[in-house]
Amino acid sequence: MFCGVSNDTAKKRPGKDRLPKIMHPKESIQSLLSSHFGEAPIRPADEPFKGFHLRLDLQKERIPELAQLLHKAGGTLEYVTAVDRSDHLELIYVFGAYGEPVRIRANVRVPKGQAIPSISRIFPGADWHEREVFDFFGQIFTGHPDLKRILLPEDADYHPLLKDFKAPIRLNGNKGPIRA
Amino acid sequence: MMIEKTIALQKTLTDETFFLNMGPQHPATHGVLRLLLKLDGEYVRGCEPVIGYGHRGHEHMAQNRTYLQFMPNPSRMDYLSGLLYNDAYCRAVERMVGIQVPARAEYIRIICCELNRISSHLLWFGSYLMDLGGFTPFLYAFDDREDILSILGEATGSRLTYSYCCFGGVSRDLNDLFLQKLKAFIPKMRGRLKDYNTLVTKNIIFIKRTRGIGVITSDQARDYGLTGPNLRAGGMAYDMRKNEPYGFYPQFDFEIPVQPEGDCLARYQVRLEEISQSLRIIEQALQRLPDGSICAEKVPQYITPEPGDYHFSYESARGQVGIYIVSDGSRIPYRMKWRTPSFSNLSILPVLLPGTLVADTIAILGSLDVVIPEIDR
Repeated sequence: MFCGVSNDTAKKRPGKDRLPKIMHPKESIQSLLSSHFGEAPIRPADEPFKGFHLRLDLQKERIPELAQLLHKAGGTLEYVTAVDRSDHLELIYVFGAYGEPVRIRANVRVPKGQAIPSISRIFPGADWHEREVFDFFGQIFTGHPDLKRILLPEDADYHPLLKDFKAPIRLNGNKGPIRA
Repeated sequence: MMIEKTIALQKTLTDETFFLNMGPQHPATHGVLRLLLKLDGEYVRGCEPVIGYGHRGHEHMAQNRTYLQFMPNPSRMDYLSGLLYNDAYCRAVERMVGIQVPARAEYIRIICCELNRISSHLLWFGSYLMDLGGFTPFLYAFDDREDILSILGEATGSRLTYSYCCFGGVSRDLNDLFLQKLKAFIPKMRGRLKDYNTLVTKNIIFIKRTRGIGVITSDQARDYGLTGPNLRAGGMAYDMRKNEPYGFYPQFDFEIPVQPEGDCLARYQVRLEEISQSLRIIEQALQRLPDGSICAEKVPQYITPEPGDYHFSYESARGQVGIYIVSDGSRIPYRMKWRTPSFSNLSILPVLLPGTLVADTIAILGSLDVVIPEIDR
């Protein structure tokens, strides 16, 4: 049952209450998601080499609902990231599980300049990931406890992974950044 | 009891707290990490890690060069297990475009990567005990680590930031000296592990500094997305080499060490046990090392994956590395995201520290085995 835990450790464990919750197998999580997000297309990745077992396109308001559902089912958040698609940002939430591999990629289209609800109250680990997305892409997360830059200097006025950002080039004898 | 009494006493006496900057230049932070500690006397009341001092923009670099040109970068993220990152990147790209790696290259990769995993754990072992005040284990560990670096040097030509793997295999074959040194190293390391156990594991001072300190429950680990030995020390046998196997790992007989306690001592035990499991893998790989070519024959000059997004998970010495690549069909990645394990592993620190002593801060931070350049990328 506890597919992530070897039998030896289960014996050694002090109490049953400390047994970790392991996410449901792939099929049950798929049916769980279908029943909640029926209208959203959920397709098992036809190409297993792409690394995702379930893909899901969502409205941005529904991300906390998905996070809540997966948190309850015993899942974990692997990372949050974004891709700049020139007219909008594509936010990628990747959820996983500490058992049978179930990697769920939720995809959210956010028009540039619009905010998206934070999931850091559901998965505290999302705090830093969302700060990183804010840092690199300028995406605002509403309800985030402390949304500020994480990797770049506090006084930076750019978001380097947006496609219109040009990296400062330093040539011989030319000091200081050049912005195109 | 004593400590609880003191806490109660302090609460009644004073409510004065002050902030202390630990780092960015502090030997126990193992890199440029700043911990903003809120202290009440010797007790930590709050902690805010400030990261990003070593940010080099690897993800930005990735989307400005071809896949091959990015090859030297991954091993610079985690310079203590650089070969694992190098291998992870190669495997991610190979899976994207469907390059088959010959058997000999797979075995060589596994041997070298497990060696690198051992060297990374040895460095952690030495520096962790130095953090706790023991200087001798540090010298022992670095002695053994030096052996590994010299063995790996024979094969790869470098000491820390390897670019040994190439798309489709490895860049050069193992020489006789490598095999000779490695065969001598395995029994020596086994003996040394026994020494470590007698010298450190049963040392009462060490146990008192680590047992029951910095306990991470499985729920906390899940909330923060912990992976690697930090997670396995909390009772979950989650390892990419078993859960989502890549390469030839399913053919090897090894175990994933797990400890149920979740404290600093458990994390120490898991890492030490991982060293002996890695030795097992290396021994098996050496026995079965096949002849043949070391690199796939048809590797395209430019990697041009089909448009789409790809994910690859890999077990580095610190946990799950996730490489997320978005391709638009061109020679240059459209986006490359690196999910580095230390980033998530460190983010749990503000939860672990409140209520502990400043001295325990060092013990807890050290036991998480974070590598700062990997967090900062």
